[in-house]
Amino acid sequence: MILDKNKKDNNYMKELVKCFLSHGKINVVKPVLFAALCLISAVTFSQEGEKLFKQNCASCHALTDKKMVGPGLKGITEKRSEEWLLKWTKNSAEFISSGDADAKAIFEEFNKIPMPPFALSDDEIKAIFSYVKSPDQKTAQAATGNAAATVTTAVNEPTPETTGGMNLTSIIILIVVGLMLILALIVRANANKIIQNQTGGVVASGGILANNKKIFAVLFIVLALFGLKGLWDTLFNIGVAQGYQPVQPIKFSHKVHVAQNKISCNYCHTGARNGKVAGIPPASTCMNCHKYVSEGPLTGTVEIAKIYKALDYNTETQTYGNNPQPIEWVRVHNLPDHAYFNHAQHVSVGKVECQTCHGPIQEMDEAKQFSPLTMGWCVECHRTTEVKMEGNSYYTKLHDKLRNKYKGQPITVDKMGGLDCSKCHY
Amino acid sequence: MANQKKYWKGIEQVEKTPEFLIQQENEFAQELPIDEFLNTDAAKDNAASRRDFLKFLGFTTAAATLAACEAPIVKSVPYLIKPEEITPGKANWYASAYYDGHDYCDVLIKTREGRPIKIEGNKKSKFTKGGVNARVHASVLSLYDSARIKGPVANKKDYDWESIDNTVIQKLNAAANAGKQITIVTSTVVSPATNKVISDFATKYPTTKHITYDAISYSAIADANEKTFGNRVIPSYDFSKANVIVSFAADFLGNWLSSTEYASQYAQARKVSERKDLSLHVQLETNLSLTGSNADKRFSFKPADLKIALVSLYNSIAQANGVSGVSVKETEFDVQIKEIASALISAKGKSLIVCGINDIHMQLVCNEINKLLGNYSNTIDLNTPLHLKKGKDSDIASLVEDMKAGNVGIVLFYNTNPVYTLPKSFDFENNLKNVDFKISFADRLDETAALCDVVCPDSHPFESWNDALPKAGYFAITQPVINPLFNTRQAQDSLLKWAGSEISYYDYLKKYWQENIFTKQTEYTLFDSFWVNSLQQGVFYPLAAEPVNDVLSQAQVATGVEQATFSINDSLIALANSASKENFDLVLYEKISIGNGQQANNPWLQELPDPISKVTWDNYITMSPLQMKSLGLNVLQGEQQMADVVKVSVNGESIELPVVAQPGQKMGTIGIALGYGRKNAGKTANHLGVNVYPFAVYENGTIQYILQNVSVSASVGKYQIASTQTHHTMMGRAIVKETTLHDYVNDPASGNEKATVTVKKGRETEKIEVDKISLWQGYESLGHLWNLSIDLNACIGCGACAISCHAENNVPVVGKDEIRRTRDMFWMRIDRYYSSDAEEGNLSEMEIASENPEVVFQPVMCQHCNNAPCETVCPVIATSHSTEGLNQMTYNRCVGTRYCANNCPYKVRRFNWFNYFKDEKFVGFNPSMDDLSRMVLNPDVVVRSRGVIEKCSMCVQRIQEGKLNAKLENRELNDGEIQTACSQSCPTNAIVFGDINNPNTEVRKRKDDERSYLLLEEVGIRPNVFYQTKVRNKQHKA
Repeated sequence: MILDKNKKDNNYMKELVKCFLSHGKINVVKPVLFAALCLISAVTFSQEGEKLFKQNCASCHALTDKKMVGPGLKGITEKRSEEWLLKWTKNSAEFISSGDADAKAIFEEFNKIPMPPFALSDDEIKAIFSYVKSPDQKTAQAATGNAAATVTTAVNEPTPETTGGMNLTSIIILIVVGLMLILALIVRANANKIIQNQTGGVVASGGILANNKKIFAVLFIVLALFGLKGLWDTLFNIGVAQGYQPVQPIKFSHKVHVAQNKISCNYCHTGARNGKVAGIPPASTCMNCHKYVSEGPLTGTVEIAKIYKALDYNTETQTYGNNPQPIEWVRVHNLPDHAYFNHAQHVSVGKVECQTCHGPIQEMDEAKQFSPLTMGWCVECHRTTEVKMEGNSYYTKLHDKLRNKYKGQPITVDKMGGLDCSKCHY
Repeated sequence: MANQKKYWKGIEQVEKTPEFLIQQENEFAQELPIDEFLNTDAAKDNAASRRDFLKFLGFTTAAATLAACEAPIVKSVPYLIKPEEITPGKANWYASAYYDGHDYCDVLIKTREGRPIKIEGNKKSKFTKGGVNARVHASVLSLYDSARIKGPVANKKDYDWESIDNTVIQKLNAAANAGKQITIVTSTVVSPATNKVISDFATKYPTTKHITYDAISYSAIADANEKTFGNRVIPSYDFSKANVIVSFAADFLGNWLSSTEYASQYAQARKVSERKDLSLHVQLETNLSLTGSNADKRFSFKPADLKIALVSLYNSIAQANGVSGVSVKETEFDVQIKEIASALISAKGKSLIVCGINDIHMQLVCNEINKLLGNYSNTIDLNTPLHLKKGKDSDIASLVEDMKAGNVGIVLFYNTNPVYTLPKSFDFENNLKNVDFKISFADRLDETAALCDVVCPDSHPFESWNDALPKAGYFAITQPVINPLFNTRQAQDSLLKWAGSEISYYDYLKKYWQENIFTKQTEYTLFDSFWVNSLQQGVFYPLAAEPVNDVLSQAQVATGVEQATFSINDSLIALANSASKENFDLVLYEKISIGNGQQANNPWLQELPDPISKVTWDNYITMSPLQMKSLGLNVLQGEQQMADVVKVSVNGESIELPVVAQPGQKMGTIGIALGYGRKNAGKTANHLGVNVYPFAVYENGTIQYILQNVSVSASVGKYQIASTQTHHTMMGRAIVKETTLHDYVNDPASGNEKATVTVKKGRETEKIEVDKISLWQGYESLGHLWNLSIDLNACIGCGACAISCHAENNVPVVGKDEIRRTRDMFWMRIDRYYSSDAEEGNLSEMEIASENPEVVFQPVMCQHCNNAPCETVCPVIATSHSTEGLNQMTYNRCVGTRYCANNCPYKVRRFNWFNYFKDEKFVGFNPSMDDLSRMVLNPDVVVRSRGVIEKCSMCVQRIQEGKLNAKLENRELNDGEIQTACSQSCPTNAIVFGDINNPNTEVRKRKDDERSYLLLEEVGIRPNVFYQTKVRNKQHKA
């Protein structure tokens, strides 16, 4: 669903998703490590140890002393011998059953979640721990938080759309007309002066208004017309909330999640493919990644903590409490009650990209209503969009009939009842 | 600027400060001293007040307009942890079984985001076969009834479960130790696991006695079978196998026993297009019942004459079998009885006699006749007994005796309300005072619960786990589809707890199924997979026939038990000696909508018109119109007509009720519906109508609902009756087309003459069929063309479709007052027409229905005309035609001119006179007026606001959903996949929906059938709804 301008990136993302869906074809151990994938995709790898750490360890271990699924690794090389670390990393279960007291204690401490065995060579493990011992401070942050390198751009405020009755063109026209009028007045005044000088007599003395009746009449008519146009447009825009960008209780950024971390829209908005509403994802979906990713470079840490608060999740003990509080998001896209819209029809059947209606959502830090969501806008699309009938058996017979009727013409949605009132109003 | 304060008030109003809002509430708390104010000098001097008023008005209007421009902020609260099975915006369906102590149906429950919103029949059920009656359809609204109590109550105060449990256990122990009787009074319990819970309870407290008592008793049938066959059972009847059905006042299509099951069986035998034959249905009764109105031949009798008729019928059949009868007096209807007898004899083994009167003598004679006709093991199955209505009236009578004697220590009421439903002679309310401790499981403080010490509210069936065995071998499971809305607890859980068990009823139920029902099958080796599958199906049928403990042998069935225990002649003589007394006979009956009164607080049911009288919101006296005229009572109905109230007295009791003219009611008899006059059922039901249960009498070991020697006074007052149909006959028009079986067999198109018009061709005039010409070009539908077919021969008028439509389409309830103004909102109505004896052309006489009329039912909804007259007159194009043949109604476009309603020949368009969902006038009965009841609304359908027309949309939301599912699954649309609410809920399959452009659909087959016709075809508007001729099993045209 991501419509990325960079084709290469797009393909890369698809590959990643494919890998993710086929459960760990790349060297990841737990299928839940999508977060790790996101991290990997964002950073260019230089050092062998850093690369290996991020591929294999970062999803469960932090470089600091922060506890995640497993313990934080700060100072681990001082605490344990190299031999101990090698044994543990290669096959922790075997090591525990061999009776090592320390190993057993750690296993007990972390809720008996076994660390899976890793088929790494001694050199590779050593490389990892040498990286753990002295990680570059900047990249260390990247490993635990979101992709830091590129996030700095995230603070740019998106420019709001022009709203209100008059658009830019009409304002320019208005200014031009105004200038012309002033010009005309000056010319006329000068002309009068010249006439006065030439004739030496008094021409008219009724003030500017009386002297320039025609000009003011024209001016009045033009202004009145613009006023009417403005009123007309204002009335038509009542209830149209294009550009609506409310402040949300959690500063969730689509840009960070979609553009930078390449998460598919459908991963969170599961209803889009098969239901009426795309749905705001439940907090439990956030936790798929944010169980491990609890820090962000800018405001992320504070904002992620709000998810934990909502779920009453204790990051230390990794347990859920009994006092969850639902998150009250502000709804951005408000269709009136009398209009029925179904995402599945458009996304799965019509194969419409999310961006067609929601605009460059992947570039938005705060979600904004991109389209006017007016009936005219819906109808316009239904008049111009060809129905994707190929390959869908539901349409086979109808398609033949329509082809017969509209020989050669494109078969748009409206040609098969897409403008019927009862398609949307019931 | 005389008074600055006014301006401040205006601004506060705009800003809506909390102070202002409070002040606004109190504004008229005290009466304004207007007179005082106007008389002061200050007021006279205040010349600016009018101008100030206008300024104030203008300012507030402008300010309010500006404030309204700002769009409200809409909050969206997603799940924190989304249940896996829920996709917001998509419905989940759960199979379950509904049983409330009165009605039983295997159902599918549609839930949206965890809220049950609609009931459909479970087509996998072999018992109800996907049929659901009106009351079960409406039960989803009863779930959200705010009259339900919110938690356990003791001595009218709210308590917590723990202290209630402690008190109850202490009382139970005390009673058991003192050797006092502990009685559990229930309506019939169909759940085997619940029965075991009760027996476990009895083990713990040995003085426990379980008494089964049904509010409307069928005790005589079971008692008679005990006498005849030595087995106290109610057998299975199969109306589909019967070629001749004779019913003595048994309303088997409406309410009698398992009527949902019988309706579908009955309809099978009425499928004339397939069978080219029909069963013959003869009804003998006093009131005009739903079943009687569907009969091929109906005779109305006084109750005493019914008994004599039964004896004569026995005599005729016995003589043909070489058995002697008893002497019975000759009557005027002997000839007809002989005809019925010969029809029965010619259909030996394929006939059925049923009797709906709770009189053991009549039931015994019925058994004898069925035996003589060899119907046992053919149309009647004694070895597959029905487990509904197992109540025994003598048990409740003996309980009353025990209560009187002070033997009863504790009494528990489950699914029963005897204070309301028992005859006056039991004096139950007073006798209850002799019981030390009374416990009720009622969901509200009903008439009985209000007198109990402790009320432990049972959860609604949709909030409960349970199982059911409505008939031997037909298992079903009830599963909860919503968390309990209130602090209620299943009665079974309460009983288990009090019996000292720690197990929850859910675990108990599973264990019971593992031990007792899992063993009846071989398909699954693991119990868990069996359980999950049974839950998913909702029903379970063991492969082998259920081995009933006391199976009757063929020989036993043929002869009955030895005649020594009783003599059929005693019964025959008792019946033959019955005589009509002076004065009136009163027959108490059950209504389709209200039933036994248990769901009386359900506004959908209260507003559902009675299928015969078309009266809503009341019970009343039904009387023959001729008799009413002789008594000087008003026979007309309608907004301007007031019904006369009369006083009915019997056995020293008297009540006052309005009288409604009922053609078909036997002269000298009256009928009154049970289930009304509730005192503590809730806002909607309380004090609506009069309770006539106390009139019933206990005689011969059964509760009887027929009373003799009833006096009816002259008019003592006037009363407003609300009725949805105030005309009675078709006035000679071919609205319903009819033919007889005889004619139909000769010519399938008989009675279905095509409408013609006379056209001029040159100088000649010519008659051509209406569908050959049109003013319009027509429109070719390339894709689907939706059609609805209604078979008048299958429609029994039960009203299930109307309630189903209400639930699906958020149709408002408007209340009695609005119905009186003919402002009902039914998207589909069921018209009922009587036949008239008047000559054609005499219009005023034709409107008078005959004394014993034939009745037809005709469901009418928007006909979705292809040349729709409504569409051409709409000034704002709010109603238009879709490419799929639907007549669309766009509410947000409608400005309420009502031109369309005026131009509709079928009168199916409904106007919203009010904002029914927020107008105070509708508090108390419109479901949308209550936060809880609002949960029943279908979120896919708009709630219409004031000033717009609405009408049947052919369930376009279901059409759209069905098409989308096919598209998503990349396949063609299957026939029958999309069902409208009415077609899906029709227990007799009279309504069929489908795509007429597809040559393989059921609806297309029906369209091509010779019986199909269009309503008012001569108007030439080509509806997409069509009907099929009614065929009566008669030799000649009436």
